[in-house]
Amino acid sequence: MSYVVPHNSVKQYFSALFTAVKTTVVGMWITFRYVWGVKVVSIEYPEVREVLPERARMRLFNDAQNCISCTQCAMACPVDCIYIASEKMPEGSEIKKTSNGQSIRLKLTQFTIDTALCCYCGLCTTVCPTECLTHSHDYEFAQYTVDGMKYDYLAPDVRAWRDRIVKT
Amino acid sequence: MMNKWDIPGSTEKPTVNKDTETLRSDLLTLNMGPQHPATHGVLRVEIKTDSEVVAAAIPHLGYLHRCMEKHCENLDYRGVIPFVDRLDYLASMSMEWTYVAAVEKMLGTEVPRRAELLRIMTVELQRIASHLMAFGTYALDLGAFTPFLYAFDEREKILRLFEEVSGARLLYNYIWIGGVWNDWNDEQLTRVSEFLDAFEPETRKYHTLVSTNKIFIERTANVGIVSIQDCLDYGATGPVLRGSGFKWDLRKNQPYSLYSEFDFDVPVGDGERGVPGDCWNRYIVRMREVGESIKIIRQVLEKLEPGSIMGKVPKIIKLPKGEVYVRQECPRGELGIHLISEGNDSKEPYRLKVKSPCFTHTSMLPLMAPGQMVADFVATIGSIDIVLGEVDR
Repeated sequence: MSYVVPHNSVKQYFSALFTAVKTTVVGMWITFRYVWGVKVVSIEYPEVREVLPERARMRLFNDAQNCISCTQCAMACPVDCIYIASEKMPEGSEIKKTSNGQSIRLKLTQFTIDTALCCYCGLCTTVCPTECLTHSHDYEFAQYTVDGMKYDYLAPDVRAWRDRIVKT
Repeated sequence: MMNKWDIPGSTEKPTVNKDTETLRSDLLTLNMGPQHPATHGVLRVEIKTDSEVVAAAIPHLGYLHRCMEKHCENLDYRGVIPFVDRLDYLASMSMEWTYVAAVEKMLGTEVPRRAELLRIMTVELQRIASHLMAFGTYALDLGAFTPFLYAFDEREKILRLFEEVSGARLLYNYIWIGGVWNDWNDEQLTRVSEFLDAFEPETRKYHTLVSTNKIFIERTANVGIVSIQDCLDYGATGPVLRGSGFKWDLRKNQPYSLYSEFDFDVPVGDGERGVPGDCWNRYIVRMREVGESIKIIRQVLEKLEPGSIMGKVPKIIKLPKGEVYVRQECPRGELGIHLISEGNDSKEPYRLKVKSPCFTHTSMLPLMAPGQMVADFVATIGSIDIVLGEVDR
């Protein structure tokens, strides 16, 4: 096992040297051509933002008005990050309908998603019968504490938040 | 004790031992990793060095162990897919397809033709993306930074296509039991063929830039040689086995899905530079496989016809009692999924065992390493192209 590349003669030594310089120059020429005429592929992120594709899976959003508390999303979730609680509607109250005509028979008391646990697989959105649970296009939600990653979708300011992130 | 030549004003010179070569120093233990840019993840290799020469290398695994196999025993069959995504996170589509094929085999599902063709197309695109990553980081390991950027530029276009179709850039959850999640529209398919047209000249550029570069050849040819017999003894697959000159590709030798309809070659390391089984040959097998993948995708685009993308699958999947072992050709070798179901209306797998190609290749490091320089050992690790998510699971 030799640690030094053997060169049998001076001629071979110089020929190897010449090949090394030649192939490097050919490679450098390819790189040099990138100085002109090649479109810049990177973008300056905070100022310029990429338009996300329609199907992009970012933060989850639940439109609580259309939710019928069926808990199918919580059952489909592989990491169990969706917390749902519901109770019976009070006697005699009027039965509301969702946007696609299903009647809401249970009163939703909690709908919280722990975004820190969420793996963004999208399985919960595919089983939702009223399509109220969707992936929004919001991807900037860094928080100082882990508790801040828990989003309560029954909070009063959620409508304003929805208008900010869900572009229709 | 002070030496004579250390005394100021002394004219004594230190004596030089002429027989330095015969001197043997003690072996020095050097820990390479877990945080090391050349180990491609959190791999720790314990190297015994004799000066600059590696005398032995012992890989220590387990830094990325996430208990994935045990966790899958508590998930329904659809919920496992996001977890197998995270095995080989550079080739998630291949991982998904192998798992899904195992479930479909037990379930007896018939997958529509369009879904199968779309699966082949996405997996081959993924193979290109994965090999581009291998190419870029291998050049980076050996000190060339620019090819890394060129490779990522092209890889980005593939990831963008995947993002538009599946919604994610890395962990797709796209191939589902019975078919695929979303259909590709005509505009996206046109962009695939445009990408291939633009990408073919790029591969020639990579060969000029890296493959035929004399410095690159000197660094990789005749380094880290493994014979065919050693590969077969250890159970190596994929580019490592083919780089040694053994023509074995599951897509050709045991065609699964619709691969028997396609016309493509299986590139092997032919010793054009160096000898078969060295780092250069393993590298060039990957680069030639990219060309074969382009061929396959072109044929898929010709064969695609409108149709259903989802077969008939029950809403809640319950597998009959039994077990199945499915293996498929992934970018890094053969991935095997051993799935056991205990029946009895169970919605979860009883056991899910993953046979990982990268694990096999990592265990070959002690065979390749002795006698190399430390810098060549970096080249050897890069040439087997491991992903630690798959090694540790």
